[in-house]
Amino acid sequence: MIDALPILAEINPGLWVILAGVIAALMPAGVVRKTLAILAPVFAAVLIFDMYDSTEVLAGQFSILGVELTTLRIDNLSVVWGYLFCLAGVINAIYALHEDSWITDSSALIYTGAAIAGVLSGDMLSLFLFWELTAISSVFLVWQGGDRAYHAGIRYLVIQVLSGVLLLAGAVIFAASKGGDFTFGYIGLDAPGGWLLLIAMGIKAGFPMLHMWMQDAYPKASITGTVILASFTTKFAIYALARGFPGTDILIWIGCVMTMFPVFFAVVENDLRRVLAYSLNNQLGFMVAGIGIGTTLAMNGVVGQVFVHVIFKGLLFMSIGAVIYRTGTAKASELGGLFRSMPFTTVLCLIGAGSIAAFPLLAAFVTKAMILSAALEEHLWIPFAMMLFASAGVMEHSGIKVPHFTFFAHDSGRRVKEAPWNMLVAMGLAAALCIVLAWPWGGYDILYSIMPYPTDYKPYTWDHVVFQLQLLFAAIFAFTLLKRFKFYPAERRAEIVDADILYRKVGKGVAIWVDAVWSSLGGFTNDLKSRSAKTIGRRLYHAFSPAGSLSQAAPSGLASILTAMVLILVLIFAYVAGR
Amino acid sequence: MTSPTPDNADRDADGIHPAARPFLFLGKTKVKRNFIWFPLAGMILCSLIGIFHPPKHPAPWEMIGGTMIPGSWAIFGFLAYSFIVFMAEPLFRLLGRREDFYGEGGLPDPEVSTDPMITGEAHHD
Repeated sequence: MIDALPILAEINPGLWVILAGVIAALMPAGVVRKTLAILAPVFAAVLIFDMYDSTEVLAGQFSILGVELTTLRIDNLSVVWGYLFCLAGVINAIYALHEDSWITDSSALIYTGAAIAGVLSGDMLSLFLFWELTAISSVFLVWQGGDRAYHAGIRYLVIQVLSGVLLLAGAVIFAASKGGDFTFGYIGLDAPGGWLLLIAMGIKAGFPMLHMWMQDAYPKASITGTVILASFTTKFAIYALARGFPGTDILIWIGCVMTMFPVFFAVVENDLRRVLAYSLNNQLGFMVAGIGIGTTLAMNGVVGQVFVHVIFKGLLFMSIGAVIYRTGTAKASELGGLFRSMPFTTVLCLIGAGSIAAFPLLAAFVTKAMILSAALEEHLWIPFAMMLFASAGVMEHSGIKVPHFTFFAHDSGRRVKEAPWNMLVAMGLAAALCIVLAWPWGGYDILYSIMPYPTDYKPYTWDHVVFQLQLLFAAIFAFTLLKRFKFYPAERRAEIVDADILYRKVGKGVAIWVDAVWSSLGGFTNDLKSRSAKTIGRRLYHAFSPAGSLSQAAPSGLASILTAMVLILVLIFAYVAGR
Repeated sequence: MTSPTPDNADRDADGIHPAARPFLFLGKTKVKRNFIWFPLAGMILCSLIGIFHPPKHPAPWEMIGGTMIPGSWAIFGFLAYSFIVFMAEPLFRLLGRREDFYGEGGLPDPEVSTDPMITGEAHHD
């Protein structure tokens, strides 16, 4: 294809998917939109396959305002994410076939395309552009969840855009220290702007205390929206971390904390989509820790884990989505016994649950062990223990809790139809991949062949299989024992507060109090407001007017910080006004 | 109780999916109670095999005086899982609020609810 149309080799394949999304937004015919939704990611994958021949591809290079941009880079790292996002795009599109919504179709395509284009970008300005586009396009998927998703969508957008603003500020400072070179490569924390970039990526990756947008927005999005959201944003951030911060020690500890804390939230959470959002956070922790370890084994493990995680986490979200579609709820306290009426969904969900728990012959068994082994090889005993503890937690929330309370346990008496055929096909594809990519006789070799570094790791050794099964059987035994003696807590309806209480309650309360105090001061504050507005206006004019100090050159570090600050103020204003 | 949707209109009278019929025994109390022996047997078997196939890089806490503790990952898994579950009650007391705590609502549906807070029957089977 590239030979026939050489221009294609200069264009980031993600842009074609974005273009398909724009067309879908204008297309009233659902059949055309659905065809585009499936074919556009396939087309992008074919282009990547055509372009990449195991050597780094740099293309789409041009200069703008003196800044050199490389809008397309395909190398051993980005190619994996490129293929993965195309695959996820196709599976998600099949899953959404039943939903006649141009908003879902177009925003899903633009979101998928932005994620593909983002990971295939070679410079930080292109990365920023697609970083923000993923945020803006995906918020519509949250809002598709209905009225109750509105505020969660606003919060999601504010936090995602804030992440982009920090990314831009960090990128400009970093580039300024490199003589204006915006190439996106290793960054590290010692580089100027490094911390800003890490925090920007950490917001999207769900670092502890920066993670709440995920558990807030994902459970409130539409059924298909949650599945699509779970595929891209966080994995895009993991790519950025893997590119910019491999071997950064602090990531080991951040990652280990990320693996552990969601486990405790998930065990008390009643909303199963929220349980899965915590589970997502927990899995991201393994990836972040692996990036922190940074050895070739760990990085291969991270890449493998990202690949299979998108598939099995998507499968779990899809199965719970099918349950919501049929029953109208994802509350564990309202479900149970659905294996009687949704047997195929049950089996597919169990495959997803076994995969995330890393049962032998299922996906994560051949990838997560690489990260754990890397920790052992580096004698990182405490991180290893934390990740092992978290592995038992994974078994609890995703391996047992989700399938048990949905399909088994107490019979809720709900007798519903099996999931629609398109949902079953999408889940079937994901489940098949979970098995194929972990198959001992040639299956996992497919996965290992696309890893960034050559590997001779053998997952199916006696000690690995036996010790992993010890952990999993012990967890299941503990569950059955605690259940029998009624120590396992019954599922109860409640709002489990997380750190977002700081801005949803405390911050809001402080803002209301400040507003009340401000208003009560009356005339004095009016005078102060008037004088402040004049002063700020005068200073902004001196800075940004044609003769101003910031308009005479390409972006500088100071300009970026000021721009970022203004954007943050606008965001805060928009958020407060939106409330 | 049936679904509020008319989904079961074209199903068998009892609403059971034909593919699920051979597996209905999974819902029997006796099967559920006896399921405990399966993971217990698996755990013991794997712990025994683990004696003959020790890990290449054992962690320090898996060793006592240079000897591998049999079933070390099973012990770790059992304790870790139990700790997580026992933390649930205090965490729920600490973090649990009414569903309308943020004023954005949950999914209250008393007509079809099987929630123990509404029916008064805890889900322990």
